[in-house]
Amino acid sequence: MLQLDGVCKRFGDKLVADRLSLQLAKGEVLALLGPSGGGKSTMLKMIAGLEPVDSGRMLFDGQDLAAVPVEQRGFALMFQDFALFPHLDVLGNVCFGLRERGLARPAAQQQARTCLQQLGLAGMETRKVWTLSGGEQQRVALARALVTAPRLLLLDEPFSSLDADLRRQLQLEFRQQLQRQRMPAILVTHDREEAFALADRVAVLKDGRIVQCASPAQLLAAPATPWLARFIGYENVLEEGVVPEQALCLGADQPLAQVQRIIQLADGVRVTVASRDGELTLTLSARELARYGANLQVGGTLAVGIDRSAMLRYAAA
Amino acid sequence: MQLFKTTTLLAALLAAGLSHAAELRVLTHSSFAVAKPLLAEFEKQNGVKLSIIKAGDAGEMVNKLILTRANPIADVVYGIDNTLIGKAETAGVLLPMSDKGGAVSLPGAVSIDYGYVTLNYDKAWFAKKQLPLPKTLDDLTRPAYKDLLVVENPATSSPGLAFLLSTISAMGEAKAMAFWGKLRDNGVKVSKGWTEAYYTDFSRNGGARPIVVSYATSPAAEVFYSKEKLTASPTGNLLLPGAVFQQVEGAALVKGGKEAALARKFVEFLRSDAVQKDIPTSMWMYPVQPGIALDPVFQHAEKPTAHTTPDSRQIAAKTTAWVGKWTRIVLKSGQ
Amino acid sequence: MTARRRTLALALLPLAFLLLMSILPLLRLLQEGQGQFSVGLLADSYLQWRIVWSLLQAAASCVAALLVGLPLAWCLARYQFPGRRLALRLLMLPFVMPTLVAGMGVLALFGPQGLLGINLQDTPWLLLYGNLFFNLPLVIRAACEGLSLIPASRIAAARTLGATPWRVFWRVEWPAVRPWLWSALCLVFLYCFSGFGLALLLGGQRYATVEVEIYQLVAYELNLADAGALAVLMLLVTGLMATLYAWLERSLAAPLKVDPLPPRPPQGAQWLQLLAALAVLLLFGGLPLLAVLWKAAQALWLLGPDMLADEDVRLALFNSARFSALAVLLAAGLGCLHALAARTSLALRALAFLPFIVSPVCLAFGLLLLYPQWTASLALLLATYALLAYPFVARSLAGALDSLPPHWPQAARSLGASPLRTFTRVLWPLLQPAFRRGLAFAAATALGEFAVTLFLSRPEWLTLTTLIYQRLGRPGPDNAALAMLLSAVLMLLALLAFVAIEWPSAAERPLKKES
Repeated sequence: MLQLDGVCKRFGDKLVADRLSLQLAKGEVLALLGPSGGGKSTMLKMIAGLEPVDSGRMLFDGQDLAAVPVEQRGFALMFQDFALFPHLDVLGNVCFGLRERGLARPAAQQQARTCLQQLGLAGMETRKVWTLSGGEQQRVALARALVTAPRLLLLDEPFSSLDADLRRQLQLEFRQQLQRQRMPAILVTHDREEAFALADRVAVLKDGRIVQCASPAQLLAAPATPWLARFIGYENVLEEGVVPEQALCLGADQPLAQVQRIIQLADGVRVTVASRDGELTLTLSARELARYGANLQVGGTLAVGIDRSAMLRYAAA
Repeated sequence: MQLFKTTTLLAALLAAGLSHAAELRVLTHSSFAVAKPLLAEFEKQNGVKLSIIKAGDAGEMVNKLILTRANPIADVVYGIDNTLIGKAETAGVLLPMSDKGGAVSLPGAVSIDYGYVTLNYDKAWFAKKQLPLPKTLDDLTRPAYKDLLVVENPATSSPGLAFLLSTISAMGEAKAMAFWGKLRDNGVKVSKGWTEAYYTDFSRNGGARPIVVSYATSPAAEVFYSKEKLTASPTGNLLLPGAVFQQVEGAALVKGGKEAALARKFVEFLRSDAVQKDIPTSMWMYPVQPGIALDPVFQHAEKPTAHTTPDSRQIAAKTTAWVGKWTRIVLKSGQ
Repeated sequence: MTARRRTLALALLPLAFLLLMSILPLLRLLQEGQGQFSVGLLADSYLQWRIVWSLLQAAASCVAALLVGLPLAWCLARYQFPGRRLALRLLMLPFVMPTLVAGMGVLALFGPQGLLGINLQDTPWLLLYGNLFFNLPLVIRAACEGLSLIPASRIAAARTLGATPWRVFWRVEWPAVRPWLWSALCLVFLYCFSGFGLALLLGGQRYATVEVEIYQLVAYELNLADAGALAVLMLLVTGLMATLYAWLERSLAAPLKVDPLPPRPPQGAQWLQLLAALAVLLLFGGLPLLAVLWKAAQALWLLGPDMLADEDVRLALFNSARFSALAVLLAAGLGCLHALAARTSLALRALAFLPFIVSPVCLAFGLLLLYPQWTASLALLLATYALLAYPFVARSLAGALDSLPPHWPQAARSLGASPLRTFTRVLWPLLQPAFRRGLAFAAATALGEFAVTLFLSRPEWLTLTTLIYQRLGRPGPDNAALAMLLSAVLMLLALLAFVAIEWPSAAERPLKKES
C-alpha cells in the first residue's frame, strides 16, 4: 500500500531521514520505534504531507504522493496533545473532517454520533473539549480520525500523555478498533512495550536510518545490532550476541563473578556481576536466591555462566 | 523612597511656579511681533520683567481671558479688536479705558493699530487664465469663478470672521447667508486659519485658489519679504463692495490684574512713536498715532477708502448666532 | 486587612493625583456647561454629522485595519524571511511616534504639494490613512500574538482531516485569532474616536471629529454648553469602549506552553504574497516617516544646518529635554506606586486607563477652569505630562508583576535572601525591562504631547511640538522647512525611545505575557 523509496530529509546539518525505504501492507500496523530526536515524528509528517521530502519517493497504492497536498491524501494524523479544536465542542471536532470532505451537516453529525457511540462517548456531544479528561480527549481524537475512514492512520505518540494504567487500557481498546476496521496505521513511539503491544511490525529508527524492521517476535529473537538489542530492552548484550535470562546458568559448577550491585525487588533481587565476558545483570527469584546466593553481598561472589547455545545471534542487518 | 522623591520634586516644582518676581504679564495673540530690543528697552526703563503670553488666535486669547477671569492669567492684554471688544466687555474681563484718539478708535480700550481685511488675488494666475477680475461679490458665485476662492473659518479665525461680518453688514443677514450658500455651491474652500489659507491654498504660494481672504497690506508684505527685488507686488487687493472690513486692534488692562501702573505704562509704550513705527512692517497694520511715516513698501498696499464694518456692540450681540448659521450653511453635513 | 491597608497607602498618592488632575477638572468642565445644557444639541444636523462622522471614521478605520492587518499578520507570522524579526519589532514604532510627526508625514505625502503629487486634503482619506498608520500595527501585533498561540499540531490535524490551507484559516486560525482581534479593534476604535492631534491636522474643516469640535467650541467660540454636552457624549462612548475592551481582554488567556507553527520560507507564488504584504506594510507604516525624513533632508539642503542654531530651536530642545525628564521622573514614581497598589485591586487597574481615554482637550480646559491661578505655571504643565505618561509605567510594571510566578521570590527567600535582597537580586532584574519600557513610553508621550501643551504652555516654555505647530502656522517656506526638520528631530527622539523599548534583554524571555 504505502511505499517509501530512498527518502531523504535534512534540517540544517542534521540528517533526519537517510535514504529510508519502507513498505506497509494492507491492514498492517507498523510502529516506528526509536530514541527521541531520531526523526520518527518527521517521518510521520512527511508521510502526512506536512513536511516536504528532500529526495526519494513516496507511493500510496502506486500513486506518487509528491504532488498530493495534505488535505487530499486521506491520511488521518493523531497527535500527542490530541490537537482538539478548542472553539468546537466534541461533536464539532468529530464532524470537522467529514464537513471538509463535503458532507452536509446533518449527515456528518449522524456519522459522528455513531462513531462516538462506538467509542463509548455517547452523550458527550456538546461537551467543551477542555472539560474532558485525558482518556476522553484521546478517544475524541481517535473518533475524529477514524470517522473519516482514512486510507491510513498516522499516530504520533498517542498514549504518551496518559498515565500508565489508562494507557494500557486504551492501548487494548485501540488494538481492537484497528483490527475491527482493518485500518492500516503507522504508530510513532519511543516506548518499546507500546510498539510490541500494538504493531504487526516494528521499524527501529536511529539517526535517520532503519536499523531493523521486523515483527516483534523476530525483533526479540534476532535483534540486528547490539545497540538495537539494548534499545529493545535486553540487558546483557555482548559482542557475539545477546544473553537472555534463560542463557544464564547458576550453580556451583559455574565460574565465580564478583557482585557489583544489588537491588532488592518484591520477590527477589536484581544482581549485577563482573564476569569474564563482561558485566551481566540477572534477576534472582526469592527461591533462587535462597539456593544460590545465601550470603549475597556487594563485593562477594556469585557463580554465573553463559549457555552459549541459548544465546541470541545478531541478524544480518 | 520613590514616594519621598516624588513629593520633594512636586514641592520644588510648586515653589518654582509660585515665585515670580516683579513682572508684567502681557497676554497677546500669536501674531504679536514687536521688536525684541524695544521690549528690552521697556523692561530696563521700568525695572520689570515682561512675560509675553501668546494665547493663539485673538479669539482664542479673549476666550482664555474669559475662562480665567476668576484669577486672571495676565495684567494687560494687547490684540483685542473690534470683533472681540464687545464680547470682552459683556464678560467684564477688562478695566474700561478711554481711548486716546487717533486715526481710528476702539470703544472701551486704547486703539493701537488698524488694518483692513479684504480679498487678495494672484495677479499671475489671472493674467495666465485671461480671466477678468470679479467686479462684485455676487460674481464669485458665478460658474466662471467656481473653485477659485479660499476663506478662513470665522469660528476659528479673526480675518475669517471679519470677512463674514463685512458681508453681513453690506447685504443684511438674510441676503448674506443666501450669498454664502451660493458660494458653498460654487466650491468655496474653507481653511482653519489665515496661514493655512494664504500659505497652502492661495495659488501664489503653490495652492489652487487664486483669491484669498487676507489683509489689504498683504501685497506690500509680499514685496517686503520677497527674496528678489520686486517693483510691483505679485498680488493685489480686490476691494469689492461688501468685502472690506476695518479691523482696529487695541490694548486694555485686565480686571483683577496686578501691576496696574506698569500695565498703563505698557499701553502707553505701545502708543509710543518707536513701537508705532515698528508696527507696520512687523505686524502689517497701520499705526493709529498720527504723523508716523510709513515704510515706502506700503505704496504696494492699496488702502481701501470704504468699508462695511458693523459696530462692535452689534458684533458682540450677534456673532455667535451668525457664526453658528454660517457653519451650518457652509460646512453643513460635512459634504 | 493589612494587605488592604497597604494597598490603600500605596494607592493614596496616585489616587489623589488622578482625582486632582483628571476627575475634578472634568467635573468642573461639565458643571460649567451644565447651566445652559441644551437638549436640542443632538438634533442639530451639523453636530449630528460631526458625531456620525467621528463614529464612522473610527468604524471605517477598524474595518480597514482588520482587512489590511489580518493578511499582513498572517504573512508575518507564517513566512520566514530575512529581516522578519526586525519587521516585527518595527511594528512597535508607531506606538511611540508623536501624532504631530505622523500628521506631518501624512501631509508631506498626500497634503498640498505632497511628495506623491496627490492632494487628498479636505477628503476623508487623509484622516483614515493617518489612523491606519497608528492602528494597523496594533491589529497586526494582536493577530500575530493570536496566531503564535495556535499549536502547530492543531493546524496539522485540520490539514490531515482534509482542510485546505484556506479552509484551515477559516475553520481553525480565524476562530482562535478572533478574540485577540476584537480586543485590538476595540482599542483602535477608542483611539480613532477620541484622537485629537491627527483629526486636527488631517481632518481639515469638513472631516474634523467631535474632539476637534469640542476644542473649537471651547477655544474659539467659548460655547461651553455645547462643548460640555459633547464632552459627556465622548466620555460615554469612550467609557463604553474601554469597558468592552477590559471585558474582552479578560477572556484572553494565553496557554502556558505551545509549540506554534514555525514560520517557513515562502515558496514560489508565496513570495509574491509576502512581498505584497511587506509593500502594503511599508505604504501604511513606513512611508509617512520616510516622507518626513525626505522633506527634512530637503529642508536641510535648502536652509543649511544653521537654522538649528536658531534661538527658538535651542530653547525648544532644552525645554523638551527638561520637561520630559521631569515628567518621566514623576511618572516613574507614580507608576511604581500605582502598579504595586493595582496588584490586588482590579478597580485601581482599571483606573490606570483613565488618562488614556480622557480627551486631552476636555482635560486641558477643565484644568484651566479649575485652577485658573496655575494656568501659566510649570507645575501644572508637568503634572499634566506626568498624568498622561505615568499609566504607561503603571501598566507595563503591573503586567510584569502579574507574570512573575510567586515561587521565584519564594525560592529566593528560602535560599536565604532577605526581602530587600530578593527584590534587588530577583524581582528587580525581572521587572527592569518592563520598567524601562514603561519609562520609554512615558518619555515618548511627554516629548510628543501637544494637545494639552497648546493650552497650558507659555512662550518661554516652548517645546519641540509647540514650536513645530507654531512654525506650521507661520508664513513662508523657511518656517515650513523648519517645522519639517524639527519633526524629523522629534521622530529621531521617538526612535531613541523605541530602541530603549525594543532593546533585547536577557530577563525578558520568562515575562513574555506582558504586552
